[in-house]
Amino acid sequence: MRRFHLIFALVALFAAALPATSQLVAPAGEPKDTKAAFDAQHLRVELLVPGNTLYGDKKLNEAGLYFKLEPGWHIYWKNAGDSGEPPSIQWALPKGITATSMQFPAPERLPLGPLMDFGYENEVLFPFNFEVSDKLDRGGKIGNVGPYTLHAKVSWLVCREVCIPGKAELELDRYVWVGLYTLLDDRGRSLAERFFEKPHAQLPALPTTPPPTDTAIFQSAPTGFRLAVTTGQRETHAEFFPEDEDILDNPAPQTIAPTATGLVLDLKKDANLTAAPAQLKGVLELAGGRNYEIVATPGTVAAPPVAPAFAFGALASTAFFAFLGGLLLNLMPCVFPVLFLKGLALVQSGSEERHKLRAHGVVYTLAILVSFWALVGALLILRAAGATLGWGFQFQSPVFLALMAALLFFLGLSLAGQFEIGLTLTSAGGALAAKQGYAGSFFTGVLAVIVATPCTAPFMGTAIGYALAQPAAATFTIFTALALGLAAPYIALTLQPAWTSVLPKPGAWMDILKQAVSVPIFGTVIWLTWVVVDAYGANLLLALLSIFLLLVVAGWFLGRWPARRWATLVAVLLLLTALVACITAPRELATSPALLRSEGSAPRSGAGAWQPWSNDAVQHALAAGQPVFVDFTASWCLSCQVNERVALSQPEVMQAFGERNVALFKADWTREDPAITQELTALGRSGVPVYALYSEGQNNPRLLPQVLTPGIVLDAINKLPAAVATPTSASPSKQQ
Amino acid sequence: MKSLSFLAGLAALAVALVPVAAGAQAVVGSPAPAFTATDSHGQTHSLQEYRGKYVVLEWHNQGCPYTKKHYVSGNMQSLQKEWTTKGVVWFTVISSAPGEQGYVTDAEENAYLEQMHAAPTAVLMDPEGKLGHLFSAKTTPEMYVIDPEGKLIYEGAIDDRATPETSDIKGADNYLNDALMESMSGKPVAHAYTRSYGCSVKYAN
Repeated sequence: MRRFHLIFALVALFAAALPATSQLVAPAGEPKDTKAAFDAQHLRVELLVPGNTLYGDKKLNEAGLYFKLEPGWHIYWKNAGDSGEPPSIQWALPKGITATSMQFPAPERLPLGPLMDFGYENEVLFPFNFEVSDKLDRGGKIGNVGPYTLHAKVSWLVCREVCIPGKAELELDRYVWVGLYTLLDDRGRSLAERFFEKPHAQLPALPTTPPPTDTAIFQSAPTGFRLAVTTGQRETHAEFFPEDEDILDNPAPQTIAPTATGLVLDLKKDANLTAAPAQLKGVLELAGGRNYEIVATPGTVAAPPVAPAFAFGALASTAFFAFLGGLLLNLMPCVFPVLFLKGLALVQSGSEERHKLRAHGVVYTLAILVSFWALVGALLILRAAGATLGWGFQFQSPVFLALMAALLFFLGLSLAGQFEIGLTLTSAGGALAAKQGYAGSFFTGVLAVIVATPCTAPFMGTAIGYALAQPAAATFTIFTALALGLAAPYIALTLQPAWTSVLPKPGAWMDILKQAVSVPIFGTVIWLTWVVVDAYGANLLLALLSIFLLLVVAGWFLGRWPARRWATLVAVLLLLTALVACITAPRELATSPALLRSEGSAPRSGAGAWQPWSNDAVQHALAAGQPVFVDFTASWCLSCQVNERVALSQPEVMQAFGERNVALFKADWTREDPAITQELTALGRSGVPVYALYSEGQNNPRLLPQVLTPGIVLDAINKLPAAVATPTSASPSKQQ
Repeated sequence: MKSLSFLAGLAALAVALVPVAAGAQAVVGSPAPAFTATDSHGQTHSLQEYRGKYVVLEWHNQGCPYTKKHYVSGNMQSLQKEWTTKGVVWFTVISSAPGEQGYVTDAEENAYLEQMHAAPTAVLMDPEGKLGHLFSAKTTPEMYVIDPEGKLIYEGAIDDRATPETSDIKGADNYLNDALMESMSGKPVAHAYTRSYGCSVKYAN
């Protein structure tokens, strides 16, 4: 507004210099905009018309309706989505003055339980222009004529969990300039700058017309649309907002497949849509705050770009790497105890006949296959039902973690010699014992898969990301390869009985080995306990330790009075109690994430340098010219912990980050977090760890390997300036 | 969401159950999904037993300004009276979850009906949102019409004025009346699917 005074003085001067053929009107002062704003429930609405004069050229008469909202409240886009209504404005203007209709900035998706709305939070400015025509009664004057009263009836719907309709009558007075006005060209500054005297980055931006080289076509399918947009570069982030209501199933996730020159977006259509639309019109939001108004025409969309990769060769090579990954999994710390168990079982069965050994191997392999298929099947189904989950998702359930810890603890007790599982839980008998043996093989296979999932081995991150983005058949092929890799060492041994001959003969050493195996098992229990306590608070520790105590007592009964029915009964009752406790305790005792974060986020992040991740924060840092490093991690992910200790928290690495002024973000996926899952998907991954290094001007971050060394990180940091160096920005910014 | 990942943890067991819950959906022109629900007097109603009659479903939230528009003005009550006397079965459905706006106990709802002189055939209490999800109900008020053969013939707004102003009721094109009158006189329903307006249905999050 201050800028206005200067302009106004110029205008007055210019006006005074004009030869006055008729009466020259010099306004008495700036009109007061006291009625231009209104404080309503949960928002303030204001009519903004910069300057106090309207001109004949409507481009000079930019104006806007501005809403400032209380946190958590939102108003709506022109297509409000599943519920809600956009704000509207009705004018009462002097004859000869009209207002163009309001333009709607690019909205955001506002999920509301199972529904999806489109709108704005915090603040938003809807621009429009005033037009002055010859019909205006100027009273035969030139210069600044008026003032004229601009009166608006504004109505809106503001919602949080509940919706409140509101309306206001806003009014302000403006002069109309009659005469030359080229002096007053203020078009160099944006509307927002003129309103707020400074750049206003938080305001949602108006969508722009895409460059003429860009194309948008769509193809209808029975359940949706495949939208292909060419922008000239690979796009990993995109959200489409349809202008027409009732075209899309709004809450359905929009799956993006980046192509070399753009993207393909899979959209689910409204179940009630019968005729294919003639065009698909709306706003496409891309990474880096680019918003385009697109009109897609029907056409043939080449199968999404993953399809070329789906060619047999790519599938075969990915399957091969998945197999290698599966092999390597055997050596990962989470699976190692299970491998111990298998080795033990092999030694025990060393005296058994060949076909039995083979049968055990097959059962074990089958168990691994079935478990992988079940996990992947469940993941795909839950995803199809709209949940945002990634690989390792079961570790985001405290109940699952507690059950795992209890199970392994009980197993450890048995191995350490407290009791014999075989003796007490079944009465002896040849056939039954054999069956028990097969069940044991099956069980260890299942166990291997369950504990393996958080340990995404080096080759597996990309393989799993690729696999989950494929058609179901390919997904299952890849996971089958992975499963076979995991089972390979053991089945090779059982199928080649000659190899087992290198194993020593059974004897007393077996008992010692068995007891020794309990040590890594208890180690795993310690880790799981830490994960639970770290993510869900110390209250759960009490519950978990009590559960362990119950298991010890149950084990004592089983070991002290083996094969007694009453003892078994007592043990089973204790085990059931422990089971119930595992299921109920997390719900009763878990500390809320918000509370936990406020108490203990600083110690976990190690140094104050790490900030909690959010997409906005990353964009802000990038906009400020800072490179950004994001550590996607979870406390149940062992390789994440290792990488953080060995590489990321090393002084030389932290120093290098500091020197380059890299903004450090930690995306903690320990608990379920749809925003992080979405980001992982956008990066082409579906689990942690992922390390992403962003620099300004690049749309896609550089992804570091999943096994980090300080050298790898330092190398990536050193390469930053080259990545940042564009003709305009000479050196990396260092202001802090 | 927490319960979702718990389900996921017990993945193998859940596999068979999940798709059923996600699958069925109401589509205009197709048979309406079968349902059984309990009303505010504790009586059970199933869609099947009203075969041969028109059935209207009205999604309701007494705190929603758009619902109030039609109740304070008496518009909804007169529609209920008009159509139920013509033999139409009218179910008001409340899908607000406990703690959310519009959630009421049976007694509260019955008192409300009396106070408002509302006359639906029954009010179906759906605090778990089962019926709401089955029909993909998005807003209050949202209207559904099922014909005597059990086919869904209308889904959407009550009329064409998407405002909370009672003054907008007069002169509005009432889609519900249109659908019932057209169908009863053997004509196809002209606007069989419209965008419903109003507050979002307050499902549990």
